[in-house]
Amino acid sequence: MNQKEQELMERYIYQVVRRLPRDQQDEVAMELRELIGDMYEERGGMEDVLRELGDPAEFAGKYRSSAQYLIGPAYYDTYLWFLKVVLLCTAVPVVIAAVVNGVLEADGAFPAAAATFAIRGITEGLLSLFSCCISVVGGVTILFAILERKQVKIEQKARRQWQVQDLGDNFSAPHWTPRMLSPLPHPKARISRSDSVVGIVFIAVFCALLIFAPHFFSVILHGDSVQMVPVFNLEEWDRILPLFILTMAVGLADEVFRLVNGRYCTRVMVCNIVCSAVQLVLSAVVLKVLPLWNPRFVQQLQQAQSLSGKHAAEFLSLWDPAWASNILLAIFVLVTLLEVATTVYKTLRYGAER
Amino acid sequence: MGEEKDLLSSLVLELRRGTLVLSVLCQLGEEKYGYALVQSMEEKGVSIDPNTLYPLLRRLEKQGLLESSWETGGSKPRKYYRRTRQGDEILQELKRQWRQMSAGIDTLLKEDEV
Repeated sequence: MNQKEQELMERYIYQVVRRLPRDQQDEVAMELRELIGDMYEERGGMEDVLRELGDPAEFAGKYRSSAQYLIGPAYYDTYLWFLKVVLLCTAVPVVIAAVVNGVLEADGAFPAAAATFAIRGITEGLLSLFSCCISVVGGVTILFAILERKQVKIEQKARRQWQVQDLGDNFSAPHWTPRMLSPLPHPKARISRSDSVVGIVFIAVFCALLIFAPHFFSVILHGDSVQMVPVFNLEEWDRILPLFILTMAVGLADEVFRLVNGRYCTRVMVCNIVCSAVQLVLSAVVLKVLPLWNPRFVQQLQQAQSLSGKHAAEFLSLWDPAWASNILLAIFVLVTLLEVATTVYKTLRYGAER
Repeated sequence: MGEEKDLLSSLVLELRRGTLVLSVLCQLGEEKYGYALVQSMEEKGVSIDPNTLYPLLRRLEKQGLLESSWETGGSKPRKYYRRTRQGDEILQELKRQWRQMSAGIDTLLKEDEV
């Protein structure tokens, strides 16, 4: 082995070893020196030997015992599904925000300028859609990569029943047994995934709008220029928003719990009743206690109206914040009670553990 | 055509991978160094790439099936591997499984030939 071949060998070994954990580097280097030396004696050419050993990166890969993938088969399905839901929850509000902003900016402009506004709106919308989606994909991927590394169990397996085999030292006893299969739910006790997802996406979109764009909830008047009169009390928003979000979060928790269980059962029923009660109390506070409505709504509308004609005259005569609160609360109570009633009925009728 | 060839070679690779541990374990009743093992296996018609064998030897050692010792007396330091007692036990069981499996598969294959 001449100087040049020696140098080539050391370079190769370095390329393999530098990709390995530090505590293995020295010994693997010695092993490789032995191996390459042996092969060299047989072949007589260093380049042939190294060519046969192949790409040092691949060689190092074979030494590493840890997983060479980010998200393995155990998590992949859940990952994909979760990614889709979260992407949907992000994309929808971003698109809505972009469209509303675009409309607001373009309205009232000259036709020629409107086209420019439209193009700018679309471009900005696409850009923010793109960057939001990338961040979401990144975040979810990192989350699942951590789960994969830590081997966190996502899907809760039913607790294993004690079995006679547990006494033996049968090392090949499977971790999973058919006894762990939960009983088939009655067809009418099944909670469809898509229903839960629709609920979750709706809550996420509504939350996003309330947080980032409360001024979207406005009466929009068209005139020479666009006038937006917010419905909500934006000056007190700091106090109102947290309660709003809390109400939503409770609803979200309920939806997620349904989704995870996938069928009506006692747990789902109890969770639904508790969450609904909390939501009712919270929404009563938001609607009846906090100053939710824009206190200068009428004045602002009248101001805008004088600019834009007599659009809102009829509406104004009907507007009464207390009434609005009562009606909204009544609707919410009705919907919630209906949902609880459905859940209780389906649980008692079909959801019993068979 | 190239795709088909790729598929075939990846299938062959997969088939061979499962047998590697068995072939390596059974050759290490007496201690050998890595490249001697490559050569002796090649002579017997079972080829194994050195860049597969060396990492495999380390892994088997970590799992407690092999033990190693460095011999520094010769022209260059050599690492010798041999089976541990646990390795002996595992090998016996693997052998039994292999015979059973290959007999079973033989039966299946003959059925196809008729």
